[in-house]
Amino acid sequence: MKNEPQEDVFSEKLDLKLWGRVFRHALPYKKLLTPLAIAAVGIALCDASFALITRWTVDAVAQQQQVNLWPYATVYFVAALALSIGVWMFINAAGGLSNNMSHDIRQECFKKLQELEFAYFDHRPTGWLISRLTSDCDKLARIIAWGTLDVLWAVCLVFMIAVVMVVLQPLLGLLVLSVVPPLVWVSAVFQKKLLLSSRETRKYNSMITASYAEELQGLRTTKSLVRENENQREFEVLSTHMYGVSIQNALQSAVYIPIVLTLGSVAAGIALWRGGADVMSGTLSLGTLVAFIFYAGQFFNPINQIAQTLVQMQGAQAAGERVLSLLATMPEIRDHEEVCARLHLWDRADRPAELAPDGYEREIRSVAFDHVDFSYQTGEPVLKDFNLKVEAGQTIALVGASGGGKSTIVNLAARFYEPTGGRILVNGRDLRDRSLEWYHSNLGIVLQGPHLFSGSVRENIRYGRLDATDAEVEAAARSVNADSFIRALEKGYDTDVGEGGNRLSTGQKQLVSFARALLADPRIFIMDEATSSIDTETEQLIQQGLKAIFHGRISFVIAHRLSTIRGADRILVIEKGRILESGTHDELMVARGHYHALYTQQFRNEQVEHMLDVGVLSA
Amino acid sequence: MQGFRSQYAMAIAALLVFTAINYLIPLVGSATIDFALTSGVLPGVTPAKAAPEAVLSSVLVSWMGGADLVRNHLWLPALVMVGLTVLAGVFSYLKGRFAAQASDGIARRLKDRLYDHLQRLPTRYHDHAETGDLIQRCTSDVETLRMALSTQVVDISNAILLLLTALPLMLLLDGRMTAISFVLVVPIVLFGYIYVGRVKHLFREVDEAEGQVTRVVQENLTGLRVVRAFGRQSFEINKFAKPNQLYRDRSLRLLRLMAWYWSTSDLIVLIQQGIVLIAGAWFISQGTLSVGTLFAFIMFLNMLLWPVRQMGRTLTDLGKATVALNRMGEILSEAEESKREPAGVHPNPFRGGIEARDLVFDHDGKSAALNGISFTVRPGETLAILGPSGSGKSTIMHLLLRLYDYRSGSIRLDGQELTTLDRQWVRSQFSVVMQEPFLFSKTIGENIRLGREGAAKEEIQEAARLADIHDTINTFTAEYGTLVGERGVTLSGGQRQRVALARALLRETPVLLLDDALSAVDAETETNILHALRSRHGQRTTLVIAHRLSTLAHADRVIVLDKGRIIQEGRPEDLLKQEGLYRRLWTIQNAAQQEILDNERPVAATSAAPAASAALASASAHASATPASTPVPASR
Repeated sequence: MKNEPQEDVFSEKLDLKLWGRVFRHALPYKKLLTPLAIAAVGIALCDASFALITRWTVDAVAQQQQVNLWPYATVYFVAALALSIGVWMFINAAGGLSNNMSHDIRQECFKKLQELEFAYFDHRPTGWLISRLTSDCDKLARIIAWGTLDVLWAVCLVFMIAVVMVVLQPLLGLLVLSVVPPLVWVSAVFQKKLLLSSRETRKYNSMITASYAEELQGLRTTKSLVRENENQREFEVLSTHMYGVSIQNALQSAVYIPIVLTLGSVAAGIALWRGGADVMSGTLSLGTLVAFIFYAGQFFNPINQIAQTLVQMQGAQAAGERVLSLLATMPEIRDHEEVCARLHLWDRADRPAELAPDGYEREIRSVAFDHVDFSYQTGEPVLKDFNLKVEAGQTIALVGASGGGKSTIVNLAARFYEPTGGRILVNGRDLRDRSLEWYHSNLGIVLQGPHLFSGSVRENIRYGRLDATDAEVEAAARSVNADSFIRALEKGYDTDVGEGGNRLSTGQKQLVSFARALLADPRIFIMDEATSSIDTETEQLIQQGLKAIFHGRISFVIAHRLSTIRGADRILVIEKGRILESGTHDELMVARGHYHALYTQQFRNEQVEHMLDVGVLSA
Repeated sequence: MQGFRSQYAMAIAALLVFTAINYLIPLVGSATIDFALTSGVLPGVTPAKAAPEAVLSSVLVSWMGGADLVRNHLWLPALVMVGLTVLAGVFSYLKGRFAAQASDGIARRLKDRLYDHLQRLPTRYHDHAETGDLIQRCTSDVETLRMALSTQVVDISNAILLLLTALPLMLLLDGRMTAISFVLVVPIVLFGYIYVGRVKHLFREVDEAEGQVTRVVQENLTGLRVVRAFGRQSFEINKFAKPNQLYRDRSLRLLRLMAWYWSTSDLIVLIQQGIVLIAGAWFISQGTLSVGTLFAFIMFLNMLLWPVRQMGRTLTDLGKATVALNRMGEILSEAEESKREPAGVHPNPFRGGIEARDLVFDHDGKSAALNGISFTVRPGETLAILGPSGSGKSTIMHLLLRLYDYRSGSIRLDGQELTTLDRQWVRSQFSVVMQEPFLFSKTIGENIRLGREGAAKEEIQEAARLADIHDTINTFTAEYGTLVGERGVTLSGGQRQRVALARALLRETPVLLLDDALSAVDAETETNILHALRSRHGQRTTLVIAHRLSTLAHADRVIVLDKGRIIQEGRPEDLLKQEGLYRRLWTIQNAAQQEILDNERPVAATSAAPAASAALASASAHASATPASTPVPASR
């Protein structure tokens, strides 16, 4: 299912094209790539040279009695210094590259998410998207930066050791090198096993996390059903599975290391056996033999690194595909070429004040649905041949059962979705011919679950118009009756509202979101169930502010609350994507149809609710 | 850690053997070089070679069959070397296996204990604890500890063992070289210590910055509509850039510190090795050291210095593990709900009589939730509880279930004081349905079966039918096998309530508690369910919280609560005759449509209210006041 924590499929083939595209994100950091390459080659050179220095020194002292050791000491020290500078350089270069790359990819992904239309988010849960922006970006950047470095270093080192050995003693060199192919094969096999089993462990780990979460959420239910022992048994089954896969992972690496070490000792054994004979026959110096034995033990690390990097690349391929496809997605709702051309044409200082950035008129006088059809990506049609015209100054209330298409109408009017058939007209012109950014800047929306951003109350209201002065912010709060509660807060307008605004009550959040919408001074105002989740008292406060908001604008209101509906200029009863009834409150009440039934039912509900809200003694 | 000592002991024993063999391997090479390859000198012949190191090497060589044999069959020492490595590999495997069994075993036991402890902690504890924090302690903290136990603990023992075994061996080989080998070990250790101190807060800062990145993305995505509605995309992109840069910059700072640490410690290690090499070479040139011994020292040093170089990381990780251990300890040291109460013998069988006297309860010293409540429910009776939100209705249910214990007063079940009875026995006497019931992420069938383990399929379906959810379940593709929650169907509020009701009905306990349990079910369905309940389970004591008349009218008696006190009590028909909440509710819900229409007009509300519905007029005072402030096109 789509919400399940997705584990990547392991790709059998390495998609070099894909990694090439990922690598393109490293190109802006050419400055880091050079030291990275220098460091990798340099370290490999140093690593290979230590055995040679040892050989040189040993041979020198073995052959003559009085040797001046200073040159040897100096060469050794220089090599050591070069190696540590190399290490310093590669950590800085690879780390810098990795961090900068993931920063850039993350920023690009975030930018893309801001451009994509709502339909994109309908089927992608928030948590899923967050892990694309965090773990996926980090993973890719790390593999590109550190992987490049490791592979470069490893290949250089193996190559240099091979060259040195073959040059020193060709036959012995080739013999020692014969362990490399099996070493590569064993490493590749085990690295893959390890990757897969550690994934399995992670899968069980997330199941255990979910299990703890469920335990804590369902605590009272568990207690009242006296299910503690059964729960414990079920949990122990899970934790035992987790134990099993985790042990399996540990055993795999416990087997892997000895096998690789044995292969290394086979190489050293070969060197000692064949090389020893050469030493006795005088064709090989003792120092060279020592160097060969050292080299035989040095293969393991670089080959292990190469195998690990390749396996990680295979494992992260799916992550790469996801991130790249996110970056490659073109938003379906965007300014079309013609609009872009107009925007470019009118992007100048002498544009008359009455014109919008796209060169058409700025004033929005009407919004109309012209034979609009709409269906969501997968489902059945939501709207069919829908027609509606709203003039400036009008308030339209949409009522009806949920799932009837009320929210769809509002989303289409806001151009969060586009009709699958028909047109939406603004001042008689197709909405698609107008600038999206300009149109959205004319919207004010208040939703059922009011969403605030962490930050102060003032910052949240100012979100409506970023250049508003403090006085304007407070004026907006006053006109929706939010001022008095805000002033009563600990730090007034500077009070931090907490994550998602959760330090405020729902009603308070809603009042702030009304102030925010009012400050934006939108031409089109949309309220989607904005008053249904708040208590009676707050609702009363909002009612008084609403009049100010509706005045002179085009307003769409979806509501249950009678007080909100009743004031509308026109009430539409929507069912199955069609307008069932339309008219003023009085007209519809007289008609005694659907609206009448809805109204009387809601009237009862509100009275009961009010009675229970206010309390008995005070009523 | 009890119970895992033997595994740890075996891991360390395996490690010890592994280490010992690892020392032998370079010696094989060194002995071969010294006695077989170097100028054909036999052991013990030259006085210079009579040093202790020669003894060890000569033992090795003679063990392999003597110098001559070795010289003529050089494959022998090679084979011994490979053989020893294989043997070392076996012990390395054993070490890995035992260490994993011990650390994973401890982790598993910790998780199990935490899970069990959490569900047995009192409700009061969970009221204050943060779920996310608890989960983190139970998962990532346990993981941190496991990593430390499986790698760091073994690494440290490894380092200590290496040192303890290498030191005498090295001293045996050559005292001067041994002293020289350890010249720079103290600086490396000190350097590691300083690094740990500096890197600790950097790690925390990076974690924090990453948290900020996640938070901004999360907020942006949950507030997507707000962002779009105000066209604030570029503002959001700039807002995101800040934590994103901070995260990068802090990571880079950490990286720079790490680059310094690793490069410097590498340099120190290399210089240490260089000193040994040059000093060894000098001794060789002086004729006081053999090439083979130098070879052995270089090999030893390679093995010894590596773990020392890791010190910085090891210490950092151990520090984290200690913090994790403390955080887990905090949970485990909280006291569990008392399991058995000493005194009471529970009524057997419990018939369902409940008697409450002067109940007083408050949540942690806040204003009283219950302030002297008394009521009696005879076995088989239905008591309805009515009252505004916050009046204490649910608290009564919680006290009955012993989720909380009352401050003063008494509750008796068939005459037995509740607090003297075993909690689990008490809970097993009640079936509860809460307003927002919790379903587990199991199939629907399994969720219902939770009511009574071992219930037959027919019984489950019967309970579902009674709760009027059977037909709905059958519309799902997997019917009773349909998973509930994210991975399966998302049930509506009313459906969840009815599944929970089926679960409760399956329990067949003497008492049924319904805490606004059918609020999301439409009135007609609710009436059907209640009728079915009555005809099937008439003998069951029932406490029901509701504000629908259809439900209240079923009750034998109704109590009306406000602010923790009972303000009205009686049979439904009696309450109808008194002025009060119950009658007002009745009036509203039974008012004819015409009355509603009349009341809806603000002018009419005061002048033309029918005398019979005076209560309605006062109850709707609020509703009729609001239109005055909104423009009602009354004239149209």
